[in-house]
Amino acid sequence: MWKLVLGFVAFAVLALWMLSQGGDIDMSGEKHSVDAGPAASAASH
Amino acid sequence: MATASAVGKPMTPEEKKVIFASSLGTVFEWYDFYLYGTLAVIIGNQFFSALDPASRTIFSLLAFAAGFIVRPFGALVFGRLGDMIGRKYTFLVTILIMGLSTFIVGLLPSYASIGIAAPVILIGLRMLQGLALGGEYGGAATYVAEHAPHGKRGAFTSWIQTTATLGLFLSLLVILGTRTLIGEAAFADWGWRVPFLLSVVLLGVSVWIRLSMNESPAFKKMKEEGKTSKAPLTESFGKWKNLKIVILALVGLTAGQAVVWYTGQFYALFFLTGALKVDAATANIMIALSLIIGTPFFIVFGTLSDKIGRKPIIMAGCLIAALTYFPLFNALTEAANPDLAAAQAKNKVVVTADPAECSFQFNPTGTAKFTSSCDIAKQVLSAGSVSYDNVEGTGPAKISIGDKVIESYAATGLPADEVKKKDAAFKGAVSAALKEAGYPAKADPAKMNKPLIVAILTLLVIYVTMVYGPIAAMLVEMFPTRIRYTSMSLPYHIGNGWFGGLLPATGLAIVAQTGNMYNGLWYPIIIALMTFVVGMLFVKETKDVDIYAKD
Repeated sequence: MWKLVLGFVAFAVLALWMLSQGGDIDMSGEKHSVDAGPAASAASH
Repeated sequence: MATASAVGKPMTPEEKKVIFASSLGTVFEWYDFYLYGTLAVIIGNQFFSALDPASRTIFSLLAFAAGFIVRPFGALVFGRLGDMIGRKYTFLVTILIMGLSTFIVGLLPSYASIGIAAPVILIGLRMLQGLALGGEYGGAATYVAEHAPHGKRGAFTSWIQTTATLGLFLSLLVILGTRTLIGEAAFADWGWRVPFLLSVVLLGVSVWIRLSMNESPAFKKMKEEGKTSKAPLTESFGKWKNLKIVILALVGLTAGQAVVWYTGQFYALFFLTGALKVDAATANIMIALSLIIGTPFFIVFGTLSDKIGRKPIIMAGCLIAALTYFPLFNALTEAANPDLAAAQAKNKVVVTADPAECSFQFNPTGTAKFTSSCDIAKQVLSAGSVSYDNVEGTGPAKISIGDKVIESYAATGLPADEVKKKDAAFKGAVSAALKEAGYPAKADPAKMNKPLIVAILTLLVIYVTMVYGPIAAMLVEMFPTRIRYTSMSLPYHIGNGWFGGLLPATGLAIVAQTGNMYNGLWYPIIIALMTFVVGMLFVKETKDVDIYAKD
């Protein structure tokens, strides 16, 4: 079990480090519009 | 077969392998599925941007349908297959379909190379992904549950419950990694294909592992005794005795679970960036952090459900979420954008419009156009996170901010460049008035209480883990082996695909309609409460069910 915990923590640290390197990440993962997602249009300007 | 209680015994290597194999494959399925959604903008540029707006709208709807609406059909097709020929082979098929479709997307020439065939094939592939996903989850949950010893089903299946979140992270990491290695420009050009192509490697690993697995003992026994169902669809949904349970599984379990999931995992993000104007990078990191902290709780609650029951945890999750969403999201506003909270409290904004021209702005794919003066006024205000009251009037819609009145315009029938001009003028006037009234254009990072935001987001994720952790075991336990894969897959994908998938669009439409940025929460609250009431009254606890008793 502890191996799993360690593995998960390592994965988490790597994930957060990579995500914080910037670039445009999007945790929503489920945009389906071919223009831009509803959030983008509502959030624009 | 494992019917004797095995509480207290450590997991055997065979059991670990079953969990690992099923979970890994399901993580890869989610990875494949999320890639498309995450890279939607680039895919849009490569395949859809040269199309005329009407075609774009159609393809957009199809892509949305493929992602959500199609899943229950996948559940029917593969559920039926799984109950007729076995879990092992069916969920080999689902992963092959998913993996190959994903891989082919990576190879697909763009619109520039092969014209209209490109988007058509792409949508076809996306539909296949939706179908495969519809078949995967039921298979993985059933397969693991049928290997789990009695008394540990919740613990065993809870690992499957982590896979969607892990799959999402994996897709993001691969995308980011590729982008960092080859650079932004190359990525937008051809590099975006790499994460899709990589899928074939993941597919190879999954297939190799799954081929070496044994069929579930329950199914094997049923097959040997010749008791498998010849018509799982009819038996599942054509007989009221079982159909009743399927409907209960949807209304009294998965509908509530799905809206809690979508609120915690996705709506919170929309709210941070859209309503609270937090910059995307910060918002996404905070969401990622909350998901990471929350993910272990899938295992915690799944395991706990073996001891105290599935129903208490799932029902508590639905009820507590429904009761605390308003206070939590209000707290989120105070923590992330206190200036906005202050401005909303201080200023009264009123939209005076002819009700006949105000539409319910339901827009799941973002391509519907709302062009009346009322709709435009409300859109601009909602985008600014402004709370407003609605007053009936006549003529073109007017926005009153304090004592300033700004008239909206109708875009219907106007040529594009005139619309642009009027739009700019209108938005300019409204923004200026809002600024004067103290509405911030962005959330000020200096005033953000980040630890508190992450704490609130994490709590939202904990609700997700409460409703989702035990649900695989519960769904499995509600149905007999011969129709289990079919019966449990459908309510799961209708709940998550339809009730859940439509949450963001429904929420936004309600916000625009009513003028209050929190009102989108009513949708998940009402659905979660419905599930709580129906679940408490009609759904029976299942943790002690002998899942082979009705075989």
